[in-house]
Amino acid sequence: MSNAITMVEAINLALRSEMQRDSSVIVLGEDVGVNGGVFRATVGLRDEFGLKRVLDTPLAETMIAGLAVGMAAQGLKPIAEIQFMGFILPTMEHLIGHAARLRHRTRGRLHCPMVVRVPFGGGIHAPEHHSESIEALFAHIPGLRVVIPSSPARAYGLLLAAIRNPDPVLFMEPKRIYRLNAQPVENSGEALPLDTCYTLREGDDITLISWGAMIKETLEAADQLAQQGINCEVIDVVTLNPIDHQTMLASVAKTGRCVIIHEAAKSGAVGAEISATLAERGLLNLRAPINRVTGYDTVMPYYRMENHYMPNTADIIDAVKVTLEFS
Amino acid sequence: MKYFKLPDLGEGLPEAEIVEWMIKEGDSVTTDQILATVETAKAIIEIPSPQDGVIAHLFGQAGDTIHTGEPLLEFTGEDDDSGTVVGELKQASANPTADHFFIGAAPSTQAYSQKITPFVRSLAERLNVDTGNLLGNGQDGQLTADDIERLAKIDRTHRKAEPLRGVRKQMARNMALAHARVVPVTLCEDVDINAWAISEDITIRLIHAVAAGCHLEPALNVWFDDQQLARRMLNPINLGVAVDTDQGLFVPVLRDIGNRSLQDIRAGLNRLREDVIQRTIPPAELQGCSITLSNFGTIAGRYASPIVVPPTVAILGAGVIREQVVPIAGKVVIRRVMPLSLTFDHRVVTGGEAARFMRAAIDDLAKESIS
Repeated sequence: MSNAITMVEAINLALRSEMQRDSSVIVLGEDVGVNGGVFRATVGLRDEFGLKRVLDTPLAETMIAGLAVGMAAQGLKPIAEIQFMGFILPTMEHLIGHAARLRHRTRGRLHCPMVVRVPFGGGIHAPEHHSESIEALFAHIPGLRVVIPSSPARAYGLLLAAIRNPDPVLFMEPKRIYRLNAQPVENSGEALPLDTCYTLREGDDITLISWGAMIKETLEAADQLAQQGINCEVIDVVTLNPIDHQTMLASVAKTGRCVIIHEAAKSGAVGAEISATLAERGLLNLRAPINRVTGYDTVMPYYRMENHYMPNTADIIDAVKVTLEFS
Repeated sequence: MKYFKLPDLGEGLPEAEIVEWMIKEGDSVTTDQILATVETAKAIIEIPSPQDGVIAHLFGQAGDTIHTGEPLLEFTGEDDDSGTVVGELKQASANPTADHFFIGAAPSTQAYSQKITPFVRSLAERLNVDTGNLLGNGQDGQLTADDIERLAKIDRTHRKAEPLRGVRKQMARNMALAHARVVPVTLCEDVDINAWAISEDITIRLIHAVAAGCHLEPALNVWFDDQQLARRMLNPINLGVAVDTDQGLFVPVLRDIGNRSLQDIRAGLNRLREDVIQRTIPPAELQGCSITLSNFGTIAGRYASPIVVPPTVAILGAGVIREQVVPIAGKVVIRRVMPLSLTFDHRVVTGGEAARFMRAAIDDLAKESIS
């Protein structure tokens, strides 16, 4: 297919498209301008839009976040890139203390239409801080949207939605699948809806819930299970905050069984929130306890142990079988 | 590397002319494998490959001049310009697939509405009651224990309900659809077939009669699209022939009956029947029918209101051949007659068209012989 592009190319396409459409959109971050981004997500933008709209910042994440909050409060639409999720921690003061509550603090007089784009997740043999998956810290914050795409076409539509959203959005990009699964993506300028789950595969034996790069392993597990006659419904949560419990509850009502898959460490993760709500509001339909396939409660290890830490397709299949055997 | 640039071939020579390529685009090459011979001002030189790889593109043909430092050829594989120095990203290699997703819940989830508590569910399992898609008498359609016990009692008193399968399930669906959409009118008439030979092939005569009807009134050999309100006039007459088996009703399709010899039609019909009975009939043979024939006269029945199944618009039913007392020229005679019932969809076909079709079919059937 001639216009099949990967996720990172789709992100580039969305950025360029929206910058053409809306002159208040600014891109800023480390190495995003002249270098085009360490993953080439912002390649070509500096040449097309110039240095007033594509800013190479100093190596200072707190400043990047603060700059974005100020720009957004004053009418621009900044898209700040934090180079790896491990480096997002200094931005939390601005994101949580200010961006997420600006509308609330000013009673609507000001709002903060900023996007923070950050590659996240492991599986790329990178050193410390470059494989973090700490979405739970941000999904916990009222007023801060957390959005995670899992395919090129959806990355395009969801990023457009994030940019156009009048409130702050943390757009987390699963870098392990940045260059996998090229797909045809039309540069239509159409945004996809936020605040809703996406059902990627229909089935009635068990519901598999996941997001980010783990969607790849989840779909692979669903394919293999289908060959054994087990039909999985696969739901991509996409927006972790505010989360669409409705779709997940309805699916579990139909299937009666659920396995949640995420790369992040188990305790206190978003999977725990989903599990609690399913138990609270969907208990009557459950035929087995909700199972979670996750990373371990440790720091992400280095290269050789990385594959052991990250959940894989076989782990997901085992969890499904255990759940099905329960009753 | 991605681009292999012409190296300095010695003594500061600025360019070289390609004499011959030893490889072509798409070839796999190994380190030091000779890629090409080039001619400089001084000599003819072989160029070895700097690495293993697959050749994506050659930047020149034999006879072209390449300057030192210019790209000579391009390797496929890892994009050199991936930017990051930290970590390694896997490249896409599989075939590109289109995106597929539902926003929110899947259609089957949205349609699902059964409410049942774990207690009631386990009761249903113990009493061997299939709850299926039932709604109960509890709040919001919830299934209660009473519902389960009532269903169990029905199952004890009568046989368990078996879900319909295969052809029967299809028939239930198709007939409900037909009932919802078609506006049927049935025209009945008797045909005097007294002139026929004793061993006349009844089905062949009926098939021939349908063809005769369609030739006169092609308006009954159409497909009707009720969404677009469009009528598709069909050229070959593909006759669906109803075949009764113990699994249920099959309607295999005899193609192009208007243009085939009678022997050919009989052979085709026999083959279709055999395939149906042996359950070897491929799905393609059950599709594409433009008009249908139902000869229930082989069993019992006189007149009927056979059902038109969309997208067709007509079906001819033939009942049991009987001896009938008829008045002819004031005298009482006994004749063999065959009852016909023609149902047509009045959204598409007029009474006049149907009646003329019937007339043509009757005239054809009344003939002594057609061969």
